[in-house]
Amino acid sequence: MNKKQKIRAGIIFGVAFIILLAGSVITGLVKNGHSEEIQVVMRDAVLHETFKVNLFGLIEVNPGLISAFCVTIIFLVFCLIVRIFVIPKFKKIPGKFQMFLEQMVDLFSNMGKSNSPHAYKFVSAYIFAAGAYICISTIFELFGIQVMTTAGVSVALPAPLSDINGAVCMGCLSYLVIMGGGIAKNGIKGFGKTLKEFSLPISMSFRLFGAMLSGALVTELVYHATVMSYGVPVIVGVLFTLLHALIQAYVLTTLVSTYFGEVTEKTVKVPKEKKPKKQKKSAQAA
Amino acid sequence: MTGVPLNLDWQQILLHLMNFVILFAILYFLLYKPVRGFMDKRKAAYQEMDDQANQNKQEAEELKAQYEQQLAAADAEIAEKKAAAIHAAEARAKGIEQKAQDEAADIISKAKRQAESERDRIVGEAGDTITEMAKEAAEKALFGTTSDAFDSFLNMVEDEAK
Repeated sequence: MNKKQKIRAGIIFGVAFIILLAGSVITGLVKNGHSEEIQVVMRDAVLHETFKVNLFGLIEVNPGLISAFCVTIIFLVFCLIVRIFVIPKFKKIPGKFQMFLEQMVDLFSNMGKSNSPHAYKFVSAYIFAAGAYICISTIFELFGIQVMTTAGVSVALPAPLSDINGAVCMGCLSYLVIMGGGIAKNGIKGFGKTLKEFSLPISMSFRLFGAMLSGALVTELVYHATVMSYGVPVIVGVLFTLLHALIQAYVLTTLVSTYFGEVTEKTVKVPKEKKPKKQKKSAQAA
Repeated sequence: MTGVPLNLDWQQILLHLMNFVILFAILYFLLYKPVRGFMDKRKAAYQEMDDQANQNKQEAEELKAQYEQQLAAADAEIAEKKAAAIHAAEARAKGIEQKAQDEAADIISKAKRQAESERDRIVGEAGDTITEMAKEAAEKALFGTTSDAFDSFLNMVEDEAK
């Protein structure tokens, strides 16, 4: 960086700082004009009582479900484009995008193989889909797409998994996948093994929900305080969201593949060693 | 607030489930499977190339071992033939030498025999001549002059020389 560039960068930084400072002072002077209380927002983030969205005029659903549909549509478009225009042009020596796709597929495939070596084909595909869904749907929150609620208030679409229904769906489906793998490989024994982990769907569901919700709540708190809405959300909101996206995707996929590996593992019967018969006392005496 | 904890809505859970199943199908059929298939095919192609190279290498090594074995067998055969040829040549040389020696001995013995017979013949003839000369000399001494005898002697030598 030469001297001119340094001066230019300094000026830009200074101007930005002054604007932010001025904004903070001005907004601090203005009386709080929020239309809803923070308690209401946070309560709704957990319970989804207030803000509902009308789904095609049929039913009222949580905004998280709309987010889930949006994510699926995004994936559908992306996958169609990739399938039609990119995959047929794949080369033996991959380019950057091909390398990225191969790495993603290979990452989950290897995770499935290493955690569940007995049956990994289905679980690899499942954790690939689950990982991609959790990661992208959490990042989706960052776009802040607005929808109109039935209450007439505009809300930003949240991450689908910050909706308890989405998290419970993910946890229960993962448990069903694990159970299905156990039954397919070990029959009744696999079913029994899965039943032993009866707390798994609850723990997975609420882990996801809690992690997503905590991020959403912290971000909501930061956004709610107007003074902090300058600059801080860039770090808090984006960083929290990105970290949650990656961490939760990693946690759920690892858990599912590990439990899947456990229930699909074939049990080898070890023949019991026969205990030597105790000699009768009478014989000992003789 | 309803009696369901955290306002769980089974209808929405099922909608989420349906959404994820569709998403899974999309991701599996449009992305995961084709990419995995391409990677597997590429891996199989490289594996095949590797196997082919290993097979070629093994074949080359086998061929080399075979050639070396053949070469060793040829060397042994050559050495054996060489030894046999040397042996035959030596035997033949000995035969020729023996034959030459025999022929030489034969020639020498023949020559000796011839020389002996020649000597015997010459000695015989000389004896006869001397006897004849002695007889003639005795006749001349008895019946002719000395000069006549000398002339006749010279004539006789001349005749002999001719």
